[in-house]
Amino acid sequence: MSERQLTGLAGRVDARLPHPEDFRSGLRGPRTTARLGGWLGIAFGVCFVTGLYSHYLQHPSPWVPLLTGPARLYQVTQGLHVAAGTAAVPLLLVKLWSVFPRFFQRPSAAPRRLLLDLLEKGSIALLVGSAVFQLVTGLANSAQWYPWSFDFISAHFALAWVAVGSVALHVAVKLPVVREAWGAPVETRPAAPGGLSRRALLRTTWLSAAVAALTTTSVGIPGVRRLAVLAVRSGDGPQGVPINRSAIGADVVDLLHDPAWRLTVTGPAGAVELTLDDLRAMPQTEAVLPIACVEGWSAGGTWGGVRVRELVALVGGGTDRDVAFTSLQPRGGYRTSTLPAAWVGLDDSLVALTLAGEPLHPDHGFPCRLIAPARPGVLQTKWLSQVDVVPA
Amino acid sequence: MKAVRVALALAGLAALVRGLVLLVDLGPRLPAVLVWALGGIVLHDGVLAPLVVLLGVLAASRTPAWLRAPLVGLLVVLGPLTLVAVPVLGRFGARYDNATLLDRPYWSGYVALVALGVVVTAVVAERRRRSAPPRP
Repeated sequence: MSERQLTGLAGRVDARLPHPEDFRSGLRGPRTTARLGGWLGIAFGVCFVTGLYSHYLQHPSPWVPLLTGPARLYQVTQGLHVAAGTAAVPLLLVKLWSVFPRFFQRPSAAPRRLLLDLLEKGSIALLVGSAVFQLVTGLANSAQWYPWSFDFISAHFALAWVAVGSVALHVAVKLPVVREAWGAPVETRPAAPGGLSRRALLRTTWLSAAVAALTTTSVGIPGVRRLAVLAVRSGDGPQGVPINRSAIGADVVDLLHDPAWRLTVTGPAGAVELTLDDLRAMPQTEAVLPIACVEGWSAGGTWGGVRVRELVALVGGGTDRDVAFTSLQPRGGYRTSTLPAAWVGLDDSLVALTLAGEPLHPDHGFPCRLIAPARPGVLQTKWLSQVDVVPA
Repeated sequence: MKAVRVALALAGLAALVRGLVLLVDLGPRLPAVLVWALGGIVLHDGVLAPLVVLLGVLAASRTPAWLRAPLVGLLVVLGPLTLVAVPVLGRFGARYDNATLLDRPYWSGYVALVALGVVVTAVVAERRRRSAPPRP
């Protein structure tokens, strides 16, 4: 109950708002919240770690080690990122339901207590605001829906730190309550006759999380693919592989079949210009590699082409330097990409000329594209025009 | 446990500061981000949560006891799933030049999931009705 008496309009509003004691469900309380919070914390932890890994693959830092294999690594980390984020939706909603009465807790009138109450409410607002923001923007991005005016990547990255920071702070504050709640058993008897028991509510929430994750992201798992009725991709496309950016979307249609097209390769020993026939005349290598996108989908393909290390060897490039790839695309953030030196020497880092034994479909990057293991699809630059060994 | 709490709080504060610095770096795009972050709180606390409370009150006063628990189960599974499905059901991100994007029959899949949920709920409810003690 409120300790102070409000007057005027504030008093009338206060009288109409419910108090925490007005919420009657016996299913709420620390025993429910702590268990939901535990799983939610795990889901957010998985999202944060896999998200950071994806970030550092795209923006390498000398402090963060990157793995060049296995080839499916990024498919797994990014699939987990999206699956954990999707599963977090029911976990977060039921957890917020379980503490919703606290929203109506009136701040104390005593100044010292008031400050603490406001700090707690502020930290909860950071937590809820950032968590809802991350799930909403992440889900919309995976369906390539951008109903906002800000840049998704930088906003999602910034709020990820806010979310994980406020989760850690929240756990630090609540740890004694959490420990006590985990120590108490979960009732299997309903709190009210005919109602749900606490255990049944928790199990239903786990089921809800599993259904959400399975129906949206299991498309990358053989055998259960057909269950993914809400997946953003069926996994099919030209030459059996979906695409993210089409040749039309990238504005390169007129440039692809230009007879004057050459692949310019530069390095310490100078520059060479190669026609498509020159590339086809070089030793060809086949590699089975997935295209794994940040949106969580992935599809495997059999790619054929020239090894990056053999290409840069033509201009005196070794496997100790990064290599920059530039597309015919006139604009766009993913016009260029840098293949770190650790990838350059790999047997399956290719400038691909074929997919499934045929010349690349225009939407897959004809005349040639980069394909390398364990990297995000956006870095597998298509419609190449230039390959440069980056000076040390 | 105190050491764990202090360490967690310090790590949390450090991450928070990092996030707030990154937010400030967004510059002129920051207001739109804040609108969306605050909008999430307002939509949840002001619309979604009261709606669920209202549904609970209605279920408690208008439905027989044997139906309540199955209905809660249905809401817990289908409610979040429906929110998750909004981007694909609306196909807001579809592009004319990319047939591989949003290329599933989402409404059929969604209706099938809802139908499955309703059937399971009905079966559970019917069992509970039969085993419920007769009203005095």
